[in-house]
Amino acid sequence: MQSSNMINYDYSVAKLFAFATIILGIVGMLIGVIIAFQMAYPELNNLAGEYGTFGRLRPLHTDTVIFGFLVSGIFSTWYYIGQRVLKVSMAESPFLMALGKIHFVLYLLVVVAVVGSLLLGITSSKEYAEFEWPIDIGIVVIWVMWGMSIFGLIGIRREKTLYISVWYYIATFLGVAMLYLFNNMAIPTYFVSGLGDWWHSVSMYAGTNDAMVQWWYGHNAVAFVFTVPIIAMIYYFLPKESGQPIFSYKLSLLSFWGLMFVYLWAGGHHLLYSTVPDWVQTMASIFSIVLILPSWGSAINMLLTMKGEWQQLKDNPLIKFMIMASTFYMFSTLEGPIQAIKSVNALAHFTDWIPGHVHDGTLGWVGFMIIAALLHMAPRMFKRELYSKKLMEAQFWIQTTGIVLYFSSMWIAGITQGMMWRATDQYGNLAYSFIDTVTVLHPYYTIRGIGGLLYLIGFIVFTYNFYKTITAGRELEEEPQSTSPMAA
Amino acid sequence: MFHWLEKNPFFFAVAVFVVIAYAGIVTILPDFMNSARPVVGTKPYTVLQLAGRHAYIKDSCNACHSQLIRPFKSETDRYGMYSLSGEYAYDRPFLWGSKRTGPDLMRVGNYRTTDWHENHMLDPISVVPGSIMPKYTHMFSNPANIETAYAEAFTIKKVFNVPYDKADMPKLGTYEEATKMALAEAKPIVEDMKSPEVKAAFARGEIKEIVAIIAYLNSLK
Amino acid sequence: MEIETIRELQAYGYTFASVFLAVIFYAYIYHLYTSKKKGGKDYEKYANMALNDSLEDTPVEKIEPLDEEKQNRSNK
Repeated sequence: MQSSNMINYDYSVAKLFAFATIILGIVGMLIGVIIAFQMAYPELNNLAGEYGTFGRLRPLHTDTVIFGFLVSGIFSTWYYIGQRVLKVSMAESPFLMALGKIHFVLYLLVVVAVVGSLLLGITSSKEYAEFEWPIDIGIVVIWVMWGMSIFGLIGIRREKTLYISVWYYIATFLGVAMLYLFNNMAIPTYFVSGLGDWWHSVSMYAGTNDAMVQWWYGHNAVAFVFTVPIIAMIYYFLPKESGQPIFSYKLSLLSFWGLMFVYLWAGGHHLLYSTVPDWVQTMASIFSIVLILPSWGSAINMLLTMKGEWQQLKDNPLIKFMIMASTFYMFSTLEGPIQAIKSVNALAHFTDWIPGHVHDGTLGWVGFMIIAALLHMAPRMFKRELYSKKLMEAQFWIQTTGIVLYFSSMWIAGITQGMMWRATDQYGNLAYSFIDTVTVLHPYYTIRGIGGLLYLIGFIVFTYNFYKTITAGRELEEEPQSTSPMAA
Repeated sequence: MFHWLEKNPFFFAVAVFVVIAYAGIVTILPDFMNSARPVVGTKPYTVLQLAGRHAYIKDSCNACHSQLIRPFKSETDRYGMYSLSGEYAYDRPFLWGSKRTGPDLMRVGNYRTTDWHENHMLDPISVVPGSIMPKYTHMFSNPANIETAYAEAFTIKKVFNVPYDKADMPKLGTYEEATKMALAEAKPIVEDMKSPEVKAAFARGEIKEIVAIIAYLNSLK
Repeated sequence: MEIETIRELQAYGYTFASVFLAVIFYAYIYHLYTSKKKGGKDYEKYANMALNDSLEDTPVEKIEPLDEEKQNRSNK
């Protein structure tokens, strides 16, 4: 192929989204630290009038981290991995190039609209789908553009068969599209009545149905944003960084179909003992347990990829991040099903154990994987050596300590709270008033805040390292084949 | 056959979609009609209550308070009768919440009063020592959005046949009638309150967020 | 239609669809693990798509270039 010798992969869109990932990561995590400390020290709620209360900031935290940090990380890695495994450069298609850039600009506009509207309290109240209809339309446009980019690049590929990571990106695209559309079905009230705020809308579903649709979405947004695209990343970056092919490519394909089929059933485990039909609850509970299989299928496949190469774990901080990420993935995909068992859920639901569970998945699995991905891409996108191995090591331990503090304190807090809610005295009366179960948590809320702060500090160390890499790293003459070059 | 799918992106995408859509169809659709039937005695919210519900959503009260009582003795002892599906028939969106940083509010109207809520919103620790709830003083200065609440009630009446203006059901009427009714409904609440700011505003014909949200909380039974 | 009839149809539909998907899934496993022996695909070779992914590397399974035509199509 003559022409391919003259062209190179074009990372301009991947770079833009990488910067967005880092900036939105800092913002989202900072808000997270603030609201964590607000629970320990409620006076912190009053720093910015009505715009600084826990209620306004909590959706901003979840949405900035999910749709800011994570989704731009997904886009960034797609614009990087997509070209490479399909062996086609974006530079070969001016259309896809322009599309990618418009995609980024629109994305930024929507981010601004989201931040503004959530601070003003414009929200539909549905978790992780808080945006009102005008923003929803913007999100749909962005998503469709991403889809065009995926299938456009696939359309001009040189590699006939799609690599497993591309499977996972396609699934992310389809899954989120389906879930998001159905969960956000709403009727703008202004257009029916001619009165009131033009951005206000009312959900098409009521009560129990609304809850079912919301948690079908809410749980599977976790599947298709926190899991599926992150597996796409690790199936590319871990083999590439370690120079080892995936332990079993066949297993990766099987786990893919297993995960696709099983995940969607599990949403109902957010509604155990609620008013949704019993059979839905039981089904959700059972499928949550079954979900361990495909999840561990992927995770074990990752760990075994390192077979015979474990010394890399010591030598290469990027491998360390990715292996720790897979380990946390195994951990949280075991913890989740345990919480979905009905009798455990009776205790755990509504307590701090749930945010604890979410965070060992997001901080450990998602956060570490995206950090490793950005570190792997940096020397290739900017053609420079990674600035400091020592900083990466320090970051790894600071953040790992943070995660451990986070989930251990939330375990204790959640179980304490759950036990106190149901505790009775010798006559069968409730032993504690509600406020007793709040004040007892103060030390754990403080520890959790410190854990979150450590993670944020680690992320800032990472940002500094990334910045120094692209401005002051030693320039590379040619692209590294596997292990990313790094200065001590 | 299988390998063919792996190199045909379009049919591959179709297959993925079928596999992921399957669960939703099986679990959500069958009971859709059943779950939406109201329990006898459940009524849609009045315009003032809806405006209060919007204030509740605006400050994401549902981030810390659930509205779902599970069928356990420890919960029915603490919060009252466990929840029934039909009680939520007019909740758009549902506000079950996913976290109880504060207590459940499903039937808070049974055991809290206007006066208690007023003190609590101004300064939570004055009534619940040790509370970690923020102060919601801005609800005393922000006006309730009656117009949007009416727009929503009008929309759900028209589109989803929510039984406003039926026998024994809340009256909706025209926007002018609805504002008058909202003022009449707010009057006893304002009288029970002590905030001069809220009273002065009400004298000018303006309803503050705090009045609407108290009307909403009192309606939760 | 009676609600019971709908329920019954749903139950049949659900059972058949589940059995069908299970059969497909096990057939897929069988296909994956016997394909190489039967002289078909060696699935493990696809893992190299991540390792040898520079533009100069030879694709595992090439699509013939037709570069000109592709360029035109994507410009539309």
